[in-house]
This record gives sequence, C-alpha cells and structure tokens, in this order.
Amino acid sequence: MNTTNAPAVSRQLPATRRPGRTAARLLRLELRHNAMLWMLPVAIALFWLTTYRKAMAMPPLWNLRATSMQSGTLLAFACPVAGAAAWTGSRETRRHTTEMVTVAARPRWARLLAAWAAATCWAMAGYLACLAVLYGVTAQQASWGGPLWWPAAVLAASLPAFSAAGFAAGTLLPSRFTAPLATVAAFFVVALSTQLIAGSQSYWQVSPLVTGPWDTGPDAGVATFYPYLPDLPIAQVMFLAGLTIALLAALALPRGSGGRGLRAAAAAVTTAGLLAAGTAVALAGTGKLDAHGMITIPALHDAASDRPVRFTPACSHTAIPVCLNPAYASYLPATVTAVAPALSEIAGLPGAPVRISQAAATYQQQAGNAVSVRLDGPPISGRPPVYHLLLPDQLLGPTMTTSELAAEVRSSAGPAIVASVIADRPGASQAQHAVTAGLIIAAGLPLQGLPPGTTPAADSRPGVRSQPPPEVAPGSPAYAAARRFAALAAPARHAWLMRHLTALRAGRITLRQLP
Amino acid sequence: MTADRVREVTAAQHRKTRPARPPRAGVRLARLYAASRRIPAAVAAIAACAIGLRIALAGHWDSYGALQLPLVFEAGAAAAITVTTASPHGDPERVAGRWLPFLRLAAALALTAAAASALAAAGTGAHLAGGTLDALRNVAGMTGIGLLCAAALGGGLAWAGPTGYLVLGAYGLYTQWHGPALTTPWIWPARPPHDLGAAICAGLVFTLGIAAITVRGARDPAGE
Repeated sequence: MNTTNAPAVSRQLPATRRPGRTAARLLRLELRHNAMLWMLPVAIALFWLTTYRKAMAMPPLWNLRATSMQSGTLLAFACPVAGAAAWTGSRETRRHTTEMVTVAARPRWARLLAAWAAATCWAMAGYLACLAVLYGVTAQQASWGGPLWWPAAVLAASLPAFSAAGFAAGTLLPSRFTAPLATVAAFFVVALSTQLIAGSQSYWQVSPLVTGPWDTGPDAGVATFYPYLPDLPIAQVMFLAGLTIALLAALALPRGSGGRGLRAAAAAVTTAGLLAAGTAVALAGTGKLDAHGMITIPALHDAASDRPVRFTPACSHTAIPVCLNPAYASYLPATVTAVAPALSEIAGLPGAPVRISQAAATYQQQAGNAVSVRLDGPPISGRPPVYHLLLPDQLLGPTMTTSELAAEVRSSAGPAIVASVIADRPGASQAQHAVTAGLIIAAGLPLQGLPPGTTPAADSRPGVRSQPPPEVAPGSPAYAAARRFAALAAPARHAWLMRHLTALRAGRITLRQLP
Repeated sequence: MTADRVREVTAAQHRKTRPARPPRAGVRLARLYAASRRIPAAVAAIAACAIGLRIALAGHWDSYGALQLPLVFEAGAAAAITVTTASPHGDPERVAGRWLPFLRLAAALALTAAAASALAAAGTGAHLAGGTLDALRNVAGMTGIGLLCAAALGGGLAWAGPTGYLVLGAYGLYTQWHGPALTTPWIWPARPPHDLGAAICAGLVFTLGIAAITVRGARDPAGE
C-alpha cells in the first residue's frame, strides 16, 4: 500500500451549528457575481422611459398610476430578469465547471437555488427602488387616497416567476443562445398573450399585465368611489407563486440534483405548484366585469369590497357648489370655471340643481372587449335636485390634461346641465330644444355637443368620445327661436323662465310663444 | 553576422519558404471561425425566428399586436446574431489571427443579410406590418445595437441591447395608441417604413456596430 492507493480517511466534519450561515454565505457570493446586477441599469432605464415618464404625465391619481405601473414595470423588468436568470442558470455548462462543482459539499439543487435567489434579489431590489420613487412622488402629488398595494404585490410575485422560468431554461437547455431567446420569449408571452383575451371571462386575464377590463387603457374612473378589488390580483399572485414553486422544484427532479428523498419531495412540490397555478387560471376564467369597472371573481370576492368608499367631497364656494371626489380635487378650479357659464343661466330657476356632484360611473361589458361607461340613473335627481356629473377622465379614452378636461366639461357638461333643467330630452318639444339652445348660445357654449337630455357615454375604443350631432340644426325654426331667445337681456330671459319654466318643461309652450 | 542580420535573413527565408495560401485553407479558416462562434446555431435560430413569424402571422391579431409581432422576431434574430460575436479563445486568437477582423465583418454582414431576408421571406403572402423595408431597417438597427453592446460589454451579454431595445420599440408603438406619441427617429420601430430619419438612425447604428465589431471585436473574458 502506498499513498496513492490507500483508502481516503473519511473524517466526519463537525456539523455546521448554523446552517443558515452557509446558505447566506453562498447567497452573498452569488450576489457579487450575478448577471442581474449588470442588467439592472437596463431595467431601470426602461422603467424610467416607459413607466415613470408616462405615470408622471398622468393626473396624480393613485388608481391610474398604480395600474399603469403594474403593466409598464412588468414589461421593463420581465425581459432583463428572464435573460439574466437564464444566463446565470447556464453558467456551469458555459464555463465548463459542471464536474468541478458536482463534488462540492452542497447538493446541486441548493447551489442552483442560491444562484436563482441572487438574480431574484437584485431584480427585487431594483423593482422596489423604482416602486418607492414612483409611489413617493405620487404621495406628494395626490390630493387624496393612498398607495394601492395589490398591483405592487402582483409585480413582486411576477419577478421571481420570470426569474425562475429563465433560470430553468438556462439550466435545462444550457447554450449561449438560451438567454436571448428566453428574453424574447418572456416579452412574447407577456405582451402578446393578452391578444387572446376576449371579454372579462377569459382565462388569459391571469397574465400579470392585466389590471382590469382589457383593451380599455388606463382608466381613472375605477377605485375612487369603490375600493380596488383584490380578486384578480389574488388569482394572479396565486398563479405566479404556483408557477415559481413548480419551476424551482422541477430543478431538483433530474438525477444528480439530490438524494431520493429530495427528488420525491420536489416531485410533490412541483405537482402542488402546478395545481395552484392551474386553479388560479380556472378562477381567472370565472371573472366578470362589475358595475364599478373591476374584475370580480366570485370564489375570491369579498362582499364588503362592494361598499362605496367614504369620503368628504371637495366643494367649491359658489352659488351652486360643484363637489368632486377628493381624489379629483386638483380638477375642481378648472371644473368650476368650465360649468360657471351654464350655471349662471340657470341659477335660481325652479328645478335648477342646488349642487353639482361628481358621481361614480357604471360599467357594462359589451361584445368582445368593448366596455360601455355611463352614468347610472338620471343626471338630475333628488329633493332638492342635485346634478350628477361624470368627469371626462372617468370615461374611457386617453388621459387628459387639466385644460383638455376643462374644455371637455365646458362643451359637454355645460349644455347637459342646461338641458336637464329644461327637461330637454329626446322627444321633448321644439320649444324646449329652442330654449336649451338659446341658453347655451347665451352662455357662450358650443352648440355642438352632447344632445340635450343625455349624459356622456363612451365606447371602449381609445381616443373615441361620443360627439353626436346637434339637435337644433342651423336654419330650422327652432334654431331661429333659439337665436331670438339668446338675444334677450339676461334679466329678461331669467324673468320669462321664472314665469314659464313649469309649462315649458311640461311641453305646453310652442315655438311661437317664445319671446 | 550580427543578431539583426540573422533575424533579417531568417525572415527572408521564411517569406520564401512559406507556401502560397491554397483556396481550401481560406474555406477551412472560415469554417473553423463559424464553428467557434456557433454561427450554424445562429443560422438555425434565425430560421426558427422566421418560421415562428410565419406561423404567428397565420393567426388573428389586432392592429396593435400585428405591429408588435414582427418586432419580437426581429429582436430575436438580432440577438442571435450578436451572440455569435463571443469568442471562446480570447487573447491568443486576437494575437494570432490577422484575418480575424475580416472574418468578424463577413460574419456580421452575412448573418444580418440572412436575418433580414428570412424575415422578409416569412412575411411574403401574409400581412407583415411595415413590410420588407421595416424588417430590414429594424433588424439592421437592432443588430447594430447588439454589436455595439458586444464591443462594450462582451459578446456573452450583448443580447441585452437588442432585447432591451425591443421593449423600447414596443413602447414606442404603444404610444401611437396611448399618447403622447414618441416620434424620435431613434426609436425607429415606431416610425413608418419610409421614414428617412428613422432609416438613417438605424443605418448609422448598424454602421457603428459593424465598425466596432470589425476593428475591436467583442470584449470577452476568456472564461466565457
């Protein structure tokens, strides 16, 4: 026997007293060398360009910015995370160190888990920094409300899932092409899977990109009058967590990843993860659009979430106060200015509203992904009468600046308020049409606008708002009467209306009887 | 005879005795270069992108999805091209390979042409948003970004450029629906195919990328 063929003395090393320290040290080593660290500038630059700038251009509404952040940040981070994780996963094969690390004391699965955790930690650190900046700035700008944490939670669950998917691809298919292809595949899955969504009962709503009814774009109308529903986010988090667990456990399945017990446990965990993900997909398929613009899932729904949010409205100190949800308080001066000409024409008349109050919109699913948004109920109701106003931002369409919103309120809400006082609705008399048009002309408002007696509504096509033709066409007898009525002095108009408004509203006044 | 004289004579004899490079040697060099850079695999990846695009075009997409679709596959092809810049040999090859710049140039140009042709062919007979010009511009521009990344970061991580730009380009397309629209020609995927500024920007980036990769090569650690 010589030194070369003598049996190696197997000496039992003292057990580590704190096994967590070994794992922490391994994680620290991985953190120092992880590719995600180099990808963070790319992800943060994409976040700034595609998410932060866009969010800052939006009104400071928590609902708008949080939902916009969920979609934008996911796209900004998913690709770099998946790519970096795939790059990390293929490291052993790329560097030809597989055999060298096989003899290491730690099981292969534990080593892989540490490398995945390092990539995920860097991604989470970058994401949390971006979230803190966006929410911090919004907290300073928003007039009411607080951060929505469910969109943030969905993102926090998404990053480990994309990291696990990329890491599994890199580990199981190690190649220099794996990382770029995993990145492009991640983008394809995230961005284009939503093409398959049709209506609010689609299984594909489980995609973490989805925050509400698909294809409607950012919607400022949700989660201000009613709470943000966690139904869909819960299903999404469940799906992502199940997927992450299944993918990570699957790494322990190949022979050589660990002992028989570990592999059996990994098989069980993989099955459980897949079951959780499948259940979440099935739950997402049972969703439906509720009246408040959010997706409800009956099995996850809490009826308490249907109660309206309690708030003290922000009101103007004008003769007829204009009251808005405090989240929209920044729009109050512009809204008051926009409706002031119309209010000056109707102030003091019998049946005129004593207050203009912003109301919640009602949503209804239409064919495909189309959604209709309207005011639920008549625009003017109650004793004393209150006019219910929908701000243009509550309708679907592009987000507006304050000046654009004021112009829209002036041209749509102003005529609608006048029409509601005159009871000018489809089927009303010619005299009612003429008086409404006369008051609109006298107030200096555009005659072309919403038809009298109707309230704003929108279809789901971005950028499209209802602009029906005027009821009183130039050249018609009603138009001539309207011009005549508008030419009267304001006190004369007001005095005539005080005497005849009741008869006019009842349809007992003809065009010839108008002054 | 001095030492300098000895060196001159040896060099002269070496020049005389060196056989003329047979044509097959050049082919062999190109073949070895292609094998070391995984160029056949890159060609396969480009073909897979073209086939994937063709299959995807057969499906039903809304107008937004139809615009994004080619960009995804163009980015995939560009990323595959940039991955071939990584050298497995490192410094020894840089020192010994005097044909290396020409091989790098030829490989990058040939792969870019192959990618643009394959993607354009995939769109033949189907509705390829933007058409062939768009595919050519986007592939060239994104390949240029990848080659610049290879020169700066290394061939291994060069794919970060085209894939990062994919997100940016898709966002540029998104802003055409949900404004304010990004109209800078530097985000060329969001510009129409006949936009001269966008074509110039993409061409400039491609030229810079080709120049950088030809002259410098990818910045690769030998271990990668």
